[in-house]
Amino acid sequence: MDFSIYGDDSKALIRFDPRTKLFIFLACGVTSLYTYSGLYILLFAGAVCAVLALSGKPWTALKAFLLFAVALYIKEAVDHSGSSAPVVVLIVSVLSTIILYSLPTILSILLIVQTTRISQFLSALTAMHLPVKAVIPVAMLFRFIPTVQDEWNGIRKAMAFRGISLSFSSVLRHPGKTIEYVLVPLLFSTIGVMEELAAAALARGMDIDVKRSSYEEVRLRAADYITMLIFAALSVTIVVLVTTKGAAGV
Amino acid sequence: MARKEVTQTTQQSDKKLRTKDLIYAGAFGAIYIVLMLIVVLGTSAIPVLYILAPFTVGVVCATVYELCVLKVHKFGPALILGVLFALVACSGNVLGMVLAIVAALAAELIIMAGKYKSKKMFLLSFLAFNLNMVCPYTMLYFHRDEFMARSVSFYGQAFADELAKYAINGLAFIQIGLALIGAGIGVLIASKLIKKHFEKGNIV
Repeated sequence: MDFSIYGDDSKALIRFDPRTKLFIFLACGVTSLYTYSGLYILLFAGAVCAVLALSGKPWTALKAFLLFAVALYIKEAVDHSGSSAPVVVLIVSVLSTIILYSLPTILSILLIVQTTRISQFLSALTAMHLPVKAVIPVAMLFRFIPTVQDEWNGIRKAMAFRGISLSFSSVLRHPGKTIEYVLVPLLFSTIGVMEELAAAALARGMDIDVKRSSYEEVRLRAADYITMLIFAALSVTIVVLVTTKGAAGV
Repeated sequence: MARKEVTQTTQQSDKKLRTKDLIYAGAFGAIYIVLMLIVVLGTSAIPVLYILAPFTVGVVCATVYELCVLKVHKFGPALILGVLFALVACSGNVLGMVLAIVAALAAELIIMAGKYKSKKMFLLSFLAFNLNMVCPYTMLYFHRDEFMARSVSFYGQAFADELAKYAINGLAFIQIGLALIGAGIGVLIASKLIKKHFEKGNIV
């Protein structure tokens, strides 16, 4: 089993607080709606990649940044080419816009999932004075995404052993069967994991109404405040520029 | 004495959401969102399928939703699923987020109308829930102004007007329709799969 997918910050240069990562996630959600603002959005994506690299994932960050830069370059090139083939222009610019639109958000989810341990996340959310009913589902959401990934890989291998292909054409030919072959084992195995996690949570006293203490120390340090400030400034600049000057003004 | 206590706790846990139920809701939320992202990003290579996403996600994700609400069997799971969905899919888009949560609340009320017993109501509630797939697009509907300003300079005023009429008024209704049809097919698949596999496996 690959432990690093369940949140590993042992290689991190700076250990950011989970709250900072959540803030970056929100900032990505806001700014991704204004992706047509060229240079600033590249700066923004660069900042997300920098945080990811500092948290111990330099190679993922570098690859993502290159993909983003290439997509932006293609989009700009197509926009300014004045090509006479509208269909090609439409398809290429839609594809690159989808990459530009979704990549920062996906990166910020990766940042939360891959570099935060679940206990850190729980204590950070509790420190925000959120009610337990909000804390547990959100923490479970981020804890469970890698589990689903893990089970999915296993299922794909098992399907390959039995000669069931998951290629695009076979999915198109048997959509109903594909849904059944993927969903049933996935749900069966993850429900098993859920039951174990529920038992573990009961054993750790999650069910009592007393305030829980934790070994995890979560504290916002100077680096966290600076990062949050940078992201707030970047998002505000992008939103203000786009809304006042329009898409063409940037 | 001991027996009395046991019945008391079970009664309590029947009404209120316990930690176990919250864990189920969060985990099903993760499965739902991962499947949704796979479907949306996998199909968005073809632009038409990107607009069709409410349909495809409804077909694929219905089973996950139904298992979640059938497993927990109380007030709450659909709402939690809806809030988690809104957080991930519509972050930064306040209007979309509110609408997504309203859709989840409507689903919850439909289940409540069935008194948590009627299987039909459980199945039906997904029709309301799947409307949240339209919500991430709300920004697209309302942000068309800037998009339109661009296409005016590209293609000329007449074409842009035609596009605007089609995109703003048409697209929202087409997508709502697609979401409902997708949810309907998804629910049929879900009820078949649940009968075939999950009831035998003692999961619901």
